[in-house]
This record gives sequence, C-alpha cells and structure tokens, in this order.
Amino acid sequence: MIREFSEEQLELRQTVRRFLAEYSAEADVRRTMATASGYDQKTWEAMATQLGLHGLAIPEEYGGQGFGWVELGIVLEETGRALLCGPFFSSVVLAASALLESGDEAAKRRYLPGIADGSVIATVALPGGGGELDVAAELVDGRWRLTGRAALVTDAHVAHLVIVPARTPAGLGLFAIETGRPADGAGLTSAMGANAPTGAAGRTDTVGRTDTVGATGAAGRAGSDQTGFRTTLRPTLDQTRRLADIDLDAVTAAAVGDPTGGEAILARVLDLAAVGLAVEQTGGAQAALDMAVEYLKVRVQFGQPIGAFQALKHMAADVLVEVETARSAAYYALSAAADRSDALPVAAPLAAAYCSDAFVTAAHQNIQVHGGMGFTWEIPAHLYFKRARSSQLLLGEPAFHRARVAERLGL
Amino acid sequence: MGAGTGASETALSPDEARTAARAWLSDHWAGVDDENWRRALVTSGWAAPTWPVGRYGRGLSRPSARAAAAEFDAAGAPGACVETAPFHDNPWMYLLGNTLLAHGGQAVCDRYLPRLLTGSLTHGCLLYSEPGAGSDLASLQTRAELVGEGEYLVNGQKIWTTGGQEAQFGLLLARTDWDAPKHAGLTFFVIDMDSPGIEIRPIRQITGDAEFNEVFLTDVPVPADAVIGAPGEGWRVLQVALAAERAGMGAAARGRAEGKAAAGTSDLAVLRAVADDLVEAARAAGRLNDTVVRDELVKILSWRLTNTWTGDRAAAEIRRGPSSLASLGKLAASRVLHAGTDFAYRMQGRASLVYDVDDPLAYPVDRALMFAFINSIGGGSDQIQRNIIGERVLGLPKGYEPDRGVPFRDVRKGSATRPVSQEKRP
Ligand SMILES: Cc1cc2nc3c(=O)[nH]c(=O)nc-3n(C[C@H](O)[C@H](O)[C@H](O)COP(=O)(O)OP(=O)(O)OC[C@H]3O[C@@H](n4cnc5c(N)ncnc54)[C@H](O)[C@@H]3O)c2cc1C
Ligand SMILES: Cc1cc2nc3c(=O)[nH]c(=O)nc-3n(C[C@H](O)[C@H](O)[C@H](O)COP(=O)(O)OP(=O)(O)OC[C@H]3O[C@@H](n4cnc5c(N)ncnc54)[C@H](O)[C@@H]3O)c2cc1C
Repeated sequence: MIREFSEEQLELRQTVRRFLAEYSAEADVRRTMATASGYDQKTWEAMATQLGLHGLAIPEEYGGQGFGWVELGIVLEETGRALLCGPFFSSVVLAASALLESGDEAAKRRYLPGIADGSVIATVALPGGGGELDVAAELVDGRWRLTGRAALVTDAHVAHLVIVPARTPAGLGLFAIETGRPADGAGLTSAMGANAPTGAAGRTDTVGRTDTVGATGAAGRAGSDQTGFRTTLRPTLDQTRRLADIDLDAVTAAAVGDPTGGEAILARVLDLAAVGLAVEQTGGAQAALDMAVEYLKVRVQFGQPIGAFQALKHMAADVLVEVETARSAAYYALSAAADRSDALPVAAPLAAAYCSDAFVTAAHQNIQVHGGMGFTWEIPAHLYFKRARSSQLLLGEPAFHRARVAERLGL
Repeated sequence: MGAGTGASETALSPDEARTAARAWLSDHWAGVDDENWRRALVTSGWAAPTWPVGRYGRGLSRPSARAAAAEFDAAGAPGACVETAPFHDNPWMYLLGNTLLAHGGQAVCDRYLPRLLTGSLTHGCLLYSEPGAGSDLASLQTRAELVGEGEYLVNGQKIWTTGGQEAQFGLLLARTDWDAPKHAGLTFFVIDMDSPGIEIRPIRQITGDAEFNEVFLTDVPVPADAVIGAPGEGWRVLQVALAAERAGMGAAARGRAEGKAAAGTSDLAVLRAVADDLVEAARAAGRLNDTVVRDELVKILSWRLTNTWTGDRAAAEIRRGPSSLASLGKLAASRVLHAGTDFAYRMQGRASLVYDVDDPLAYPVDRALMFAFINSIGGGSDQIQRNIIGERVLGLPKGYEPDRGVPFRDVRKGSATRPVSQEKRP
C-alpha cells in the first residue's frame, strides 16, 4: 500500500502538474476537444519526448524508462485532474499493458518502443462496458484475417496499432492490426520500422507485416487506410475522450501471444486498465471538489458565502470523504499492480467501482453547488461531469465491478 | 531528531536497541513477572521505550522499539513496550497517556504514568459531556474553584459517562473562569474517582445495559497539581485527548484484517478475511448467490478496506505533521458500522426480532445494530465531524456564532435534558 511518495515521486508529480497547467489548461482542453483528432500533437510529443511520460512504466529493454505502476499512477492522477485530451490512456495504459501481459517478445519489441517515444498511437478494443465486440479470426494461407465489428473503441480513429480480441476456432486470441495511418506525418512503416527487430530476429507469425501497411501513403487520417479496415468516429457525451467503431473485413493481423490464450491476457489487461482509470478518476474527482470548494468560498447569497450554509458545508465534507476514500482504493490497487500482488484481481475491480462512483458524486455535486452557473457550457463543471460519466461506464459500470470482486473472493 | 530529551537514545538504531534490550534483560529478567519486575521496567524506560526520557521512556523510534520488543518476547518477559499496544487493549494508554505526555507537569505525570505502564490503571472515564453541553462541549457549566492553597473544589453534573462505575480516574473538563469567552475559561483535570463528593448513577441504554452514567460532583476536592496544562488552557489539552479518542474510534471500524490473517498469508487472504463475517451472515441466510446481497456485501467490504487504507495514509501523514486525513476516519467509520450491522441484522431475517433486554450480550447482532450509534454520536457526532472537516480541512467559512467572543457569563446556556438516571432494575 502506498502510504506516502518518495521525493522523486513527489518531484514527478510536480513536474507533470506544471506541464499540464501549461499544456492542458481549460482553454487547451476546450480547443482540443473541438478538433477532429481530439488530441494535440505538440502536447503529445512533449509528453513523450520532453518528459518521457509514455515510456515511464515500459521496461528499458523496450525503449522505456523501467519505472512501474506507482509512477504511471502519479501521471494518470494528474492527467485526470487536468482532463487531458488524447490517446494517452489508450496507448500507454491499454495497449502497452496488453503487449506486456501477452508475453509475446516479438510484439513487445516491435511496438513498445514506438509507444514509449510517442510515435505510435495504440489502443485496445475492450469487450464489455457496452462496446460490443464481435470479431472472428481466421487463418488463411498462414495469415490471420479478422472480420467483424468492435464498437466504441477509445481513440481507434487515430491509432496506428489496434489490438483486437477475436474468436478463433480454438478460443479467444489477441491480434495486432497495423492501421496504416501515417505517424507524425512520416508514415507508419518508418515509425514502427525504426524500432522493429532487424532481419531474422523477427517472429514467425509476422508474415506479411509490411504488406499490411502497404496502404499507407496518402490515405491520411481518414476512415479506411488498411484494406478492409474502417473506423467511424462517434460523437460522444464526453468530448475529451474519443470513441470510434471499427469495422473489419478480412483485415490482416498478427497474433499477440498465444492465439487461444486471449481470455487470460485480457482479464489481466482489464484489471490493469481498471487501476489506471481509477487513479485518473481520483484526479478528476479531486479537481471537481477543488472547484466546488472554491465557489463555496466566493459566491455570496443571503449576506454570506454559501459555504457557510451547513447543507453545502456538509455536502462538501462528504465529497471529501469520497475523494480521499477513492484515493485510498486507487493507491492500494496501484501498489497491488506494481507488486504483482495476488490481491490485484480483487483490488482492481474494487477500485474501479469505488472511484467511478466517487468521481460521479464529486462532479455531480460540483454542478449542484454552482447553481445556474453549473448548468452552463461556460464553466468547466460539465467537462468533469461528462468525463466522470464516461469513465463510469468505460470498463463496465460499478455494479459489474463489484460482482467481479465477489467472484474473485470466491463467493 | 530534534533537541530535547534523550537525543542519544533516540539515535539508537533497531540493532543497537536490540543489543541494549538484550543486555538489560540479562541483568534484570529473572523469569518472574511480579511487582518488582514491572517497576523495574517502568523506571528503566523499557515499559514505554518510545516515550521521552524523563517521562518513563527512552525516546526510541518505533522501529527501534519494535526491535527491542522482539527481544523481550523472545525472553518471555512480559510488560515491555506496552505503550504501542492497540488502542482497544487499553484506550487509557492513549487517552490519558498522550494527554499527559503532551501537556502534563512532572507531578501529575509521576502520579499516573507509572501505574498506567505497570498495568494497575486500566479503568478511567471521560467527564466531558453535560446535560446542557454535548456537541457544544465548550459551553459546559461544571465549575472548579480554587479554594485556599493548592486545592480546587468541583461542583456540577456530567452525563453519558461511559464506565463511570468502574473508573479509577476521570479526565475532567471544568470551567475555572466565567468571564472569559467559552473556550478560554476551561481547565483540564485528571481526578481520582474515589474522591469524596462523587455520586455515580447508571443510565439505562437503548440496548438494555447500563454502561454510561450520570456523575454528580459536589464539593469534590481536587489538588491543584491535578491540572493538565495550565488553568484556562483546557480546550487545547482536550484536543489531544479527543484526537486519541477519534483515532481509536476510526480504527475500531476498520477491517480486522491485520489481526485475522496470520503472518505469511497472501494479500488476497487478508482482504478476504475482512469480509468473513459478512459472507458468513449471507451464507447462513442462504443468500450468498443473491446479486443484490453480493453487491451490498462488496460495498461494505470496500468501505471497511478503504477506511483501513486511509488510516494507513493518515498515520504516515501524522508522522510528518498535522494530518487532514486523520479527521476523516471517524466519519467514514460511521457508515462502515451502520451498514455492516444493518446487513447482519437483515441477513438474520426474523430471528433478529428476538432480543432480551436483560441479556443483551446473548443477542450480538441486535446489540451491534444499536451500538453502531456510539460512533456516529459519541466523541463528536457525524454532523460535528462534517463541520470540522468543512471548516478546518476545506477552509469553508464558519456559520453565525452568537456566542463568539462573549464572556461565558452572558452567553445563552445550553438547555438541560430531562433527568435520565435510573437504578439498575432488580
Ligand atoms: C435550466 C435552468 C433554467 C432556468 N430558468 C430560469 C428562468 O426562466 N427565469 C429565471 O429567473 N431564472 C431561471 N433559472 C435560474 C434559477 O432559478 C437559479 O439558478 C436558482 O434559483 C439558483 O440560483 P443561482 O443559480 O444563483 O445559485 P445560487 O443561489 O448561487 O446557489 C448556489 C448553490 O448554493 C445553494 N444555496 C444557496 N443558498 C442557500 C442556503 N441559504 N442554504 C443552503 N444552500 C443554499 C444552492 O442550492 C446551490 O446549490 C434557471 C436555471 C436553470 C438551471
Ligand atoms: C454510547 C455513548 C457513550 C458516551 N460516552 C461518553 C463519555 O464517556 N464521556 C462523555 O463525556 N460523553 C460521552 N458521550 C456523550 C457524547 O459525546 C455526546 O452524546 C455527543 O457529544 C453529542 O452530544 P449530545 O448528546 O448532547 O447531543 P446534542 O449536542 O444535543 O446533539 C443533538 C443533535 O444535534 C446535532 N448537532 C448539534 N450541534 C450541531 C451543529 N452545530 N451542527 C449540526 N448539527 C448539530 C448533533 O449531531 C445531534 O444529531 C457518549 C455518548 C454515547 C452515545
């Protein structure tokens, strides 16, 4: 259990907070969420290269810095607080975890360095959480071909790499699809190629990987780059986190790890994703509470600051209890992830459920406290509310996670 | 470590502490746990090694004290390092101990600390609340007047005094100055409960038992050196005792994980153990597969676990300075207790309808359901905790306070509740 942070970790938090205050201030969030891509390339690059945040928890042998989940958690708490727009969670939490958990050496070597330096944007099509997943994988002439649909995949519309769980005749597997979008305008081939294993050190199942990106070039960020691969960006309640549907028609893909061992990998990825999201939610909840408390001190009605009214003072105290309790749940889960504790399968869904509810409560009460102002587009209370509501369902609603806790306690 | 007592001892590493303990043991431990042994532990500072030198301690850090304690355990020598025992083993170690260490003069420390450490002082009571002063404790009206040389006479009435009948001593808050505003006229005492002029009448509780009491104080003589802190500083001294009480209450509601899970079991087993009683209740009811019940069970488990974790974070924070997290534990504990006891009550179904007021302990589920209020009312109610959190932690403005800065003499006093004492039923 994280009781307190080291000097270096506190330093990291300050650095990230300062950075986000400059790059992901409210105005930046509002501007970015209105763009087509939903993220800001300059910010993305600065985070990856200047601060090295993308590679923080990726082992050094794969181009990262080799820190762990505690450090990544610190970053996520801050990105949550700042409502950072962009595929950081998709790429660094979802995809990197999927690759690391897959135990697939070649896939890790091929993709992780790009994720770590930000040149590759990656995501995972997660089942559950309301996004249906109906993809079948078929081995044709020694190549996997994926057909079907994955709905509501975070940041799929900008991803260079999408990891999709798909049914094979023998079981569920994870598959990597290179979408063929140009990375940094330079082209995916070079982005990944730079880090790809040289020569024969490669893998046996990477058949035709270079062919699969053949459709790069001019296709740009539009929906259909790789043949048979199409993404459709969906308008979302929470504009700070983008979702796209993916349609697959015999798309070439490579198995990541054992093509029949997907269930187990996916379960671990979901747990880690839940932990990552829980800390992010904690950061968001804290920001919403801070905003509410600030307003309680400055808004005067009935001849006094409204924070003097007990109905609101007690509400704020209750929200503080929720936020700190959420933080405790998230931090416990973080250390369980960092230590590979056998408590992770319980701690992760427990944190997911608690932090989801706590963020929703904090964001909800923040609007309530603001009265008519809380109902406007102008103040950012709605941004936190929408982020809280989208995060609440992203990996499954709280009751789903609590059911998982019960299951994993052996009940 | 800073200046003050026992700088050289404070520097003892765990290894050095272990060596020192071993050496001392070989000189003093003869295999007999008697009065002499206990006294030797107290005078040597091994009874409470983390307390300061000069206050019956050795100024050791916690890790060093733990290392020393292991030596005493290994030798089978009891009575060492008792100051760090869990709150509920002997709450007075913290309620009286912390308060004396923080504010007590030499004389009052010498009167009480040794007996606390030898284990001969085990029962105390808190003489704070009055019929007219509960949440608004600072408005209390029990008066302590200095009469002649070095003695106070105390007059007034206390109420809700838990354990008053068995108490050897009482922590008493009384008014010594009626011209000062309410918080500034209070003085904190520790008094002997066998003093003349103390009458104790049990009050029957919601549960049927009578653990709390009315205490009538009539011309009770109290020596002037029984004051902890200075006259008029009672409110400040009280904060130490209250902090210890609230911390203890917060801890009480945490999961009993640490105690239950044997050393060496997995993290998962520790988490699981915290749910044991809930799982048993649901299983006995045949409802362990009911999704609604499972959802509730996990919610309660989450509250228990997170409260423990928040407590751990608070403990780390406290080591570095004032902790805002520490003020959340007691409030969070209320829902843990109310929800947990409510769950057990409902799981038992109609069997819970049977309860014998003459034998409350035979009906633990019903009794616990009622006892949960002790946390949400006693030691500063949930509402008072929310005020404190709102104002002191979040910095929200105080509401209108008609008695602020007014001499207590002129303040509108709390209205008294009706008399509630009754003798125990035959
Ligand atoms: C969708 C919408 C439509 C509206 N349409 C109209 C309209 O057509 N015409 C019109 O005139 N107005 C309209 N209003 C305004 C509405 O009536 C006010 O927003 C409302 O009265 C609250 O006032 P306020 O926004 O100034 O919040 P504030 O009064 O500043 O309140 C802020 C917070 O403090 C709380 N609070 C304030 N005083 C106390 C107190 N004494 N004790 C405890 N809590 C307190 C409030 O409950 C709230 O949570 C509309 C508002 C909304 C949201
Ligand atoms: C089981 C038990 C054991 C106890 N043991 C002891 C003991 O050993 N020694 C001792 O001294 N005392 C003891 N107490 C007393 C306890 O500390 C008081 O009951 C408590 O402080 C509340 O005071 P009160 O009962 O006078 O209620 P009141 O202060 O009259 O409160 C009544 C209600 O009003 C609310 N309220 C009061 N002021 C405010 C405010 N400003 N804002 C919002 N709401 C407010 C309260 O939350 C409560 O809900 C014990 C109580 C219980 C239940």
